[in-house]
Amino acid sequence: MNKRRYLIPTLAAAGFLPTSSADAAIAGSLPSNPFDNDSDFNQRLDLEHKYTLAGHRSHSSHSSHRSHRSSSSGGYTTTRPAAPVQPRSNSTSPRTVLPSLPNARSVAPLPGNSEKFKQIAMRVQLALISYGYYNGAVDGVIGKQSKAALSRFQSDYGLKVTGTITPEVLNALGIAAQ
Amino acid sequence: MIALRLAAKGHLEGETLVARLVTTHKDDRVSFLGRDYQLTSQEGAWAYYSRDDHAIALRGKAEDLDGDVIMLPPNASSAHRLIRANSQHNSLLITEQCDQLCVMCSQPPKTKHTDMFAAFMLACVMAPQDAVIGITGGEPMLYKEQLFALLLQVHAERPDLTFHVLTNAQHFEPEDVETLKSPAFNNVLWAIPVFAAAPEVHDRIVGKAGAFEQLLKTFDLLSHTFAQIEIRTVVMQSNQAHLAALADFLTTYIPFASQWSIMQMEKIGYGRMNWRKEFFDTSTDFAMTARALCIAHGRGLDARLFNFPLCTVPSAYQRYAVASISDWKCKFEDFCEGCGLRDQCGGFFEWYDVESGFETIGYYE
Repeated sequence: MNKRRYLIPTLAAAGFLPTSSADAAIAGSLPSNPFDNDSDFNQRLDLEHKYTLAGHRSHSSHSSHRSHRSSSSGGYTTTRPAAPVQPRSNSTSPRTVLPSLPNARSVAPLPGNSEKFKQIAMRVQLALISYGYYNGAVDGVIGKQSKAALSRFQSDYGLKVTGTITPEVLNALGIAAQ
Repeated sequence: MIALRLAAKGHLEGETLVARLVTTHKDDRVSFLGRDYQLTSQEGAWAYYSRDDHAIALRGKAEDLDGDVIMLPPNASSAHRLIRANSQHNSLLITEQCDQLCVMCSQPPKTKHTDMFAAFMLACVMAPQDAVIGITGGEPMLYKEQLFALLLQVHAERPDLTFHVLTNAQHFEPEDVETLKSPAFNNVLWAIPVFAAAPEVHDRIVGKAGAFEQLLKTFDLLSHTFAQIEIRTVVMQSNQAHLAALADFLTTYIPFASQWSIMQMEKIGYGRMNWRKEFFDTSTDFAMTARALCIAHGRGLDARLFNFPLCTVPSAYQRYAVASISDWKCKFEDFCEGCGLRDQCGGFFEWYDVESGFETIGYYE
């Protein structure tokens, strides 16, 4: 008798019972997105970066980065989709309102001439291509065209406009600097 | 033969266009990129598409092109179909350069290289759900940094896609092990040719001294990752006697390989040039191939026959044959009419020639 009673729970524990219908029922009863306004949760989604690529303060200290946008628009407008890509900030709170999260680990600055920098910069270029902001070479060199693309992306997505690869940019593009 | 290029008109100036063709308006993740060209009309052989004020025409039927991703340089008379939405055989040609010169190469290398990674990134992002995308060349790993960046970034944006990378495995380095441990590479199958376990035989076939030695280093290195590996061996006159020994070698030293593809030659490129010297007629002498299959399967390595028409394979071994020839270069001969195995058969290469091909063709009701 006891055997029979334990049979089913044991099967379930071993993963032999179909669970999809139960899962579906649970999923259906969940509220749409309980984490929308949970800034702690949003911060947890940020990637863990071992490196920072935007250590060159000289670039970000220029007074008006917005000017990159206007000055470069002659050269690069053709690379942008006709309909501007909508920032996704309507689905989550804009990153700029979040308190900046002190990184648990210390983050090492990455020299611009290192292999690691190049590898991450290439991914950033590919991501900017897929988001419709860049159409140049995938060479890992953050030149004029890449910087202009970064500035436009940062501006559209409500990030701090620096024209460099900031941790915010990496998070938004799903790239972990590791 | 399915066209990989389409006659095109209308894109006169500006950037190279990378666009997705849609018959009906789509509202998905890709449409968000602003690269959808919507069908406006089909006039005879030409399908007309437009986006805002920009119209292009492509020679083809709209129903065949729905969801395809095309690349169209300004003022070009034809567009590349980077992704064919209805095909299982999409591949991106990273480069035509190669550091090996294999005797049976179907795509002889060229010295010139054009960087197309921007178009490849867009093609991947716009590919249909769960697509498998081939990465070929030339030798794609000659552009290893860009290729790794592409695989990593596509995975970040499209984790549903999987990749099949054809590489000679001469360019992996110890520094790559860390990168290869990234989850993105769980979606990558590396297809690596090994022609014989005898270094001098392998090196002669690939036209590069030390190539086999480098392969051993690569397999050592890959054994420290979770890389999925397919071994590829083309059966030819100069290596067929070594097949059983190769089966022994693979099962002993590369037990982490997930598949062994034993392949017939393709009569194009160097394969055409060297056909008389290298084509080995497995329809008249299947003994060595059979032994290799038996050793591999006996020891748990999943060995398959690629590009072997079923009528050339003894019936006991037909279950190992895969209908592997890509849709766009596959054909059936006149004698295939009424064949009882046709539905399961991969057919022949478009450039197969009956006169110089298999001698013993079986007959199946």
